[in-house]
Amino acid sequence: MNSNEAIVVCRCEEVTYGQLRTTAEEHQCTAREIKLRTRAGMGFCGGRTCRIPLDRIIEDVLPNVSQGDIPLKYQPPIRPVSFGTVGEKND
Amino acid sequence: MMDVIVIGAGPAGLAGAIASANSGLKVIVIDEFIKPGGRLIGQLHQERSGEWWNGIEESERLHQEAITLSVDIRCGVSVYNLEKDGDLWNVHTSIGTITVPFVLIATGAAEYPIPLPGWTLPGVMSIGAAQVMTNVHRVQVGKKGIIVGANILAFAILNELQLAGIHVDRIVLPEKGPLSGKAGEPEEVMKSLLHAAHLAPSPLLRIGSRFMKNDWFRKTGMKFFPKNGVKVNGTPLLLRKAAIEVIGMKQVEGVRVADTDANGTIIPGTETVYEADFVCIAGGLYPLAELAAVAGCPFQFIHELGGHVPHHSETMETPLEGLFVAGNITGIESGKIAIAQGTTAGYSIAKHAGKCGAVIDEQLNQAIQNVRLIRMQAAIQFNPDIESGRRKMSELWEKLYEKPANLHSTQKLG
Ligand SMILES: Cc1cc2nc3c(=O)[nH]c(=O)nc-3n(C[C@H](O)[C@H](O)[C@H](O)COP(=O)(O)OP(=O)(O)OC[C@H]3O[C@@H](n4cnc5c(N)ncnc54)[C@H](O)[C@@H]3O)c2cc1C
Repeated sequence: MNSNEAIVVCRCEEVTYGQLRTTAEEHQCTAREIKLRTRAGMGFCGGRTCRIPLDRIIEDVLPNVSQGDIPLKYQPPIRPVSFGTVGEKND
Repeated sequence: MMDVIVIGAGPAGLAGAIASANSGLKVIVIDEFIKPGGRLIGQLHQERSGEWWNGIEESERLHQEAITLSVDIRCGVSVYNLEKDGDLWNVHTSIGTITVPFVLIATGAAEYPIPLPGWTLPGVMSIGAAQVMTNVHRVQVGKKGIIVGANILAFAILNELQLAGIHVDRIVLPEKGPLSGKAGEPEEVMKSLLHAAHLAPSPLLRIGSRFMKNDWFRKTGMKFFPKNGVKVNGTPLLLRKAAIEVIGMKQVEGVRVADTDANGTIIPGTETVYEADFVCIAGGLYPLAELAAVAGCPFQFIHELGGHVPHHSETMETPLEGLFVAGNITGIESGKIAIAQGTTAGYSIAKHAGKCGAVIDEQLNQAIQNVRLIRMQAAIQFNPDIESGRRKMSELWEKLYEKPANLHSTQKLG
């Protein structure tokens, strides 16, 4: 089981399974809190890769998540964009 | 000004654009990939009828039809935000903001991984990446591969890799645990594969008929599952072996596996290494619903549909005025169904845009019937209980959004 602690779950921010589990257990927290504490899901891909594994870790530590809400909220911009693009200056 | 923006030029988006343009609307399609077709361009399989489903040809056909109807298709452009502004929608893209009354989100599905030690080594990829490299980019992913995870997508792509002459040596399960869920439990995996047994005439799923059709197998379950596996198109499927780690110094050199019991629990002292130069992780698909979420659409988790899906009706409307969805964003299904859903959404938009009369009603009705028909005949069904998932969503829609209309009609009656 020990080598599993070192599995990188969020590849963009290099957050491991061990870190995520410890954080979830210690703080009994929501997906959002785990994201803010560890930065998992906050990298370049916007959490598209690790979203489901993150949900599964939280579901395992704190079962009965609400069926109506997406555990880890989506925030714009959902793709990496430059300040220039957001400011509508496209040269 | 444009009437409709379609986000995603996959089968659902292109079909939606065609139906809307066919009804006289001005349509623009945005896709972030370099060419149109979405996941369709990776698909190649034989239907139950024996006919081949060639995704490249299908997407070319849809693309040409859209062009003929003067649909404006922009590839290599990402949409990063979507917000309502009065009666209109502002769609923020990497080439500027486009304002329209109607939006069709057809962004498809994304793959999720089952992380395991060593999965960040070069040579490890998702099963879908192997499909795209093989069928879209025509790049050989490796010489000898191992697939981790046994599901319909893995078998479909196994077949495609074999057609391309790429050797897949074995299929094993991921190690049982919170990250793999049911995909690491041999009994559960076998159950879901047996659900697909009705598809057995399809060469795609000719999973050793002995295994799939034999009653003895169903009854004895995993207990007597052969150690050397059963063959899927010639590749051993090892339901009682779990991948513990991908090994290699600078790139994939192999996979360390161990025997498991029928529940997937590892039997100590049974570790071996299978050599390989590439590994495909077949986790699964989930609806890619980011834009519906930032737009403020309500969601429901429906397991049979593949995860969280935006609330939508059978006519592909969402509760947000002017916002429509189609394809895998509404639930994981095959390409043909995505096309039929797209057509439904396209006519539905035309109707909302004020194209009225018997013709559009008839087209819309026909399109809805067509979705049901194609679903019944589907050669690939990612979840055997898809019908039940679809029913859950339509009941939810009725309960939440159709009440006022019903009240209205009973009032009229009274
Ligand atoms: C890896 C993979 C393999 C699959 N293999 C098969 C198979 O073999 N057989 C089968 O029947 N089904 C397969 N499917 C299911 C597949 O999703 C459907 O068959 C079908 O392609 C869904 O059509 P769609 O139009 O809903 O989405 P897609 O075909 O996925 O098209 C969505 C399009 O939206 C674009 N897009 C997404 N987000 C944005 C954005 N923010 N801005 C701009 N563009 C965006 C994407 O680039 C993409 O081109 C597979 C799915 C995946 C993910």
